[in-house]
Amino acid sequence: MEVVLFYIAASIALITSILVITRTTASHALIYLIVSLLAIAVIFYLLGAPFAAALEVVIYAGAIMVLFLFVVMMLNLGPSQVAQERRWLEPRMWVGPSILTLILFFEMVYILAGTPALTSGVAVSAKEVGERLFTTYLLGVELAGFLLLAALVGSYHLGRRYMRARREEIG
Amino acid sequence: MSRQDFFVLAPYLAIAGGVVLMLLLVSFWRSVRVMVTMTVLVMLVTLGLVVANIDNPPHLVSGFLLIDGYAALFNIMFVIAAIVTALLAYGYMRGRSGEPEEFYLLLVVATLGAMTMAAAHHFAAVLLGLEILSISLYVLIGYSEEGHPPLEAALKYLVLSGVASTTMLFGMALIYNATGTLVFSELGQSEFSLPRDELYYVAGHGLLFAGIAFKLSLVPFHMWTPDVYQGAPAPVTGYLATVSKGAVFAFVLRYALITDVLEIPVVSTVLLMFAVLSMLGGNLLALMQNNVKRLLAYSSIAHIGYLLIGLLAVAVLADGLIAVEASLIYLAGYFLMTLAAFGVVSVLSSASEEVDAEHIDAFVGLFWRKPLCAVIMTTALLSLTGIPLTVGFVAKFYMLATGAEGGMWLLLWTLVIGSAIAVYYYMRVIFTMVRPGGDAGYAHSSPRVEGMAVLVVIGISLIGFGVYPSPLIDFVRSLIGITGG
Repeated sequence: MEVVLFYIAASIALITSILVITRTTASHALIYLIVSLLAIAVIFYLLGAPFAAALEVVIYAGAIMVLFLFVVMMLNLGPSQVAQERRWLEPRMWVGPSILTLILFFEMVYILAGTPALTSGVAVSAKEVGERLFTTYLLGVELAGFLLLAALVGSYHLGRRYMRARREEIG
Repeated sequence: MSRQDFFVLAPYLAIAGGVVLMLLLVSFWRSVRVMVTMTVLVMLVTLGLVVANIDNPPHLVSGFLLIDGYAALFNIMFVIAAIVTALLAYGYMRGRSGEPEEFYLLLVVATLGAMTMAAAHHFAAVLLGLEILSISLYVLIGYSEEGHPPLEAALKYLVLSGVASTTMLFGMALIYNATGTLVFSELGQSEFSLPRDELYYVAGHGLLFAGIAFKLSLVPFHMWTPDVYQGAPAPVTGYLATVSKGAVFAFVLRYALITDVLEIPVVSTVLLMFAVLSMLGGNLLALMQNNVKRLLAYSSIAHIGYLLIGLLAVAVLADGLIAVEASLIYLAGYFLMTLAAFGVVSVLSSASEEVDAEHIDAFVGLFWRKPLCAVIMTTALLSLTGIPLTVGFVAKFYMLATGAEGGMWLLLWTLVIGSAIAVYYYMRVIFTMVRPGGDAGYAHSSPRVEGMAVLVVIGISLIGFGVYPSPLIDFVRSLIGITGG
């Protein structure tokens, strides 16, 4: 049974990923990307990594994607854009992502209701992950911090060019 | 972490602390001069700590980083390359608009990534080091705020390098699937202790080496190299050609030494093909180049091809350390000559031109106008050719001797043919510099003192180690643990 659950989640992840890169509007693509990340979270759960699954939902599908969506929405200002946005977000658009998310939801309920159906047989608890991160992988965590620092400083610098161009446009 | 761990990690802590210090400094006080001074200071402290730790026995920090003489040698090369880049960039960035302070911050972070790769003993460390290096490089390549060539180069590198990193990551996942470990020393024993799924193991290494070949720009994966080298600011190109490739090579060489990866027939055959194609392809493509940066890009492809002989010899020779010695001496020589060549391009580049002094016409009559620059460029090019009395000759000689000892004749003949082709295009640049005339609309900047000083030092060491290589050889031998003569 757990294999069937895995294949359902995996095919949803694949289908939505293909839909992400074939959509022509950014907001539609992002909605499918969120569904894709949710499907991957279910796969993590099946593998026996509930903590990674939770992080996938909270950080990727939650924080980062919502930020993306906000930025995409904020870029288009003005009445004509508002009308256009309304057209993009008409109910018909929600059918596809909702069905896929519902399938994932039922899968999750099924897993949570019964005995945890795990493909690997071992569940890694959040405590174990934390222990590893503070012992074996301590250096890795520190290095990941520097990775993010480089990305932060870099995006600040590259973004500045356009910020200035835009400021000159406005004022 | 024990006290011993902190002790051996001192160079890494110094450079990481330096990054934090520079970050705070740039938030309160924007000054290019201060940032350059800080960069050089941080690098010198790091260098000092690396050298101070040299005599310690190899120490494995929580299965993640292996700090030993091998890592120390690479760290010394990376730190020196970073100092050279910082000093060259100071002159280069003057007169170009934008805030040049973050450049030095990213340069130091990138060097931290390279140093991590040099000591990596765990796939997670490899990936983190590689990504720290790559992400800093994306921005360094596209740093200039004017003109679109740097941005185009940065975008190309971002997309292609991102794909290569993903390929490597997937390869690592498959290797983990096959062996159940990410630690190199355990991978080395895994054939005895763990059940190994051959298919996943080989497929994983196939993907891993495809990613590595991209990062080293070996021939079937070399398409990005000339465009990115041309578009990037000249000091960054020098850094990209040396540190970025050196870091990846440090990982591959250590991986090949610890595990039996070269005994997988597919991997060694593919590497052999990469080496032959890179030596021939790099040199042939450089022949008709009128752009010095592109020419040097193709020549760097060929040089990494030569370097692969040392990597492949690890599995062929009975004593793999001899192959390591040859590779490291070759790499040290390659660092010096490449930094010198790109250094001359960057001191000649003027802020008033949109492109660097990269077209071959910019070099016409350089001997009569800027004799010192021309002499250093000539030394670097002669060294890249492998003319005796330069460090390039010593390096190539070592490579030939190693290959001959391993009986790798196909590679050796390719090396000889490749070097013969290379004479033509290196000499072409030298003859162009001697030809009288020039000044045809190329506004050379007047080279700055610190840039010239660093180039003179590299130029002298190119000749110095060529005439009297034994200090370099002894140093390398002592660090990788070869004792006696």
